[in-house]
Amino acid sequence: MSGDVSVIALSGADFLREHLRARLTLVMLVAIPALFVVVSSSVLGEFAAALGGSVGGNSASALGAGWAAAFLAGALGFFQVSSSRDADRRLALAGMGAGRVVIARISASIVLGLLIAVVGFLTLWLSAGIAHPAHAFAAILIFALIYIGIGTLVGSFISGALEGSLTVAFIFLIDAFSGPGMSGSGGVAQLMPTRKAADVLIAAGAGQGSPSVDWIAVGLTTAGALALAASAFWLAARPRSR
Amino acid sequence: MIGRTLTATRMGFREQARRPLLLILLLALPFLFISWSFAITEPTPRLITLPGGEQLLTTMKDLHGAIMVPITVGFLAGLIGLFVIQSALESDRRLVLAGYSPGEAILPRLVVLVCATLIVLAASLAVTAIDFIPASWVPFVAGNLLAGLIYGAIGALAGAMVGRLGGAYLMFFLPMMDIGVAQNPMFFDGAPERWASVLPGYGPTRVLIDGAFSQSFDATGPLVVALLWLAVLSVAVIVLLRRALGARR
Repeated sequence: MSGDVSVIALSGADFLREHLRARLTLVMLVAIPALFVVVSSSVLGEFAAALGGSVGGNSASALGAGWAAAFLAGALGFFQVSSSRDADRRLALAGMGAGRVVIARISASIVLGLLIAVVGFLTLWLSAGIAHPAHAFAAILIFALIYIGIGTLVGSFISGALEGSLTVAFIFLIDAFSGPGMSGSGGVAQLMPTRKAADVLIAAGAGQGSPSVDWIAVGLTTAGALALAASAFWLAARPRSR
Repeated sequence: MIGRTLTATRMGFREQARRPLLLILLLALPFLFISWSFAITEPTPRLITLPGGEQLLTTMKDLHGAIMVPITVGFLAGLIGLFVIQSALESDRRLVLAGYSPGEAILPRLVVLVCATLIVLAASLAVTAIDFIPASWVPFVAGNLLAGLIYGAIGALAGAMVGRLGGAYLMFFLPMMDIGVAQNPMFFDGAPERWASVLPGYGPTRVLIDGAFSQSFDATGPLVVALLWLAVLSVAVIVLLRRALGARR
């Protein structure tokens, strides 16, 4: 058991190092969410009003931080899987096993997602001020985790970098624009993956807490997205019999 | 020489044609993004300033539909530029080793990139025409084409300079922040702020906004700026790719 943990931890650290080897990638992981939060905070309220929504002020800025975390994390999850498909199969064949490869890869993505969420949250806190910081940070992190799941899921089925990136972007745009405070309030909009996380984030931006039922829904969505992604990734990474 | 370039160009198209999902996405995404933008936006009144300085009262719905075209074209062309050039670098190095000149290897990739941009542009314009007819088609099309070519070139540069993942992060956000926010007349006072004029999306967006809402053409300055951006970026792409291919001979 402790051997399993150390193998996963070692591989996860290696996957993390592999991802951050290019310094520019790290710079972008830090700079992009910060820039997006600053640039979008002044316009998201107007944008929501144009779509018939009502989100504004700090809630709109908070939503921008969640979106930035989600979009980057989606790309991150996708490339973690798609760019290492063959290497992961070899690792699994060489004795590590598909399950441990999957846990190590997704753990590395979660650590990077945490970095993205911290940057987005700090930028939000410094630029707009947040009355409910703990809830806001948790919600931004949840945006990132849900999209790590979505990116990983897409990467498990689509190998082409361009096709996969476009698919992640497509899911993100539908999800974001039909979210609470934007155009959607009922029907299909209720089924969008970050629906409840956006409710929590908007409430935190407005200085309000969220009911426990919202947190339960957010927790279940996050766990479901990561579990679904892990299962799909395991199917993609497992050695095939010849 | 022409025969070899034509062969490489044909192979480049064949490579893309083997990816049916890509073609589906390139046609479906403009349809979904643009038609959905029209569908979800309220027709609330909005005062904007055209490039000639004239003020015009339009609606958020029309503005959102019009501005989604360059966002979509720039975003898709940027990602195409990024991944087409990035994935081609390795095989093109082999072509150069096999006797192609760097120029003969680069030209087919650029032809594929321009053609993919034209496909995305045609799909985007066709969808837009269902809900919105610009006041003057020529500048509207020209502005959107320039947006696509400029972002295609930026994507190609990103692919060659910062790699696949860093390039993807960049191209996911840059067109959104530039065309989608900084140049977007839905925000600020109906015209981009002064600082936005240094961004690559400034020229194309002003040209197409002029075409969308004015029958006279008053965006000569932004058009020149856009053409300069395109010329500088094209030269940068060619120099960088020649160096990337030639350096390993």
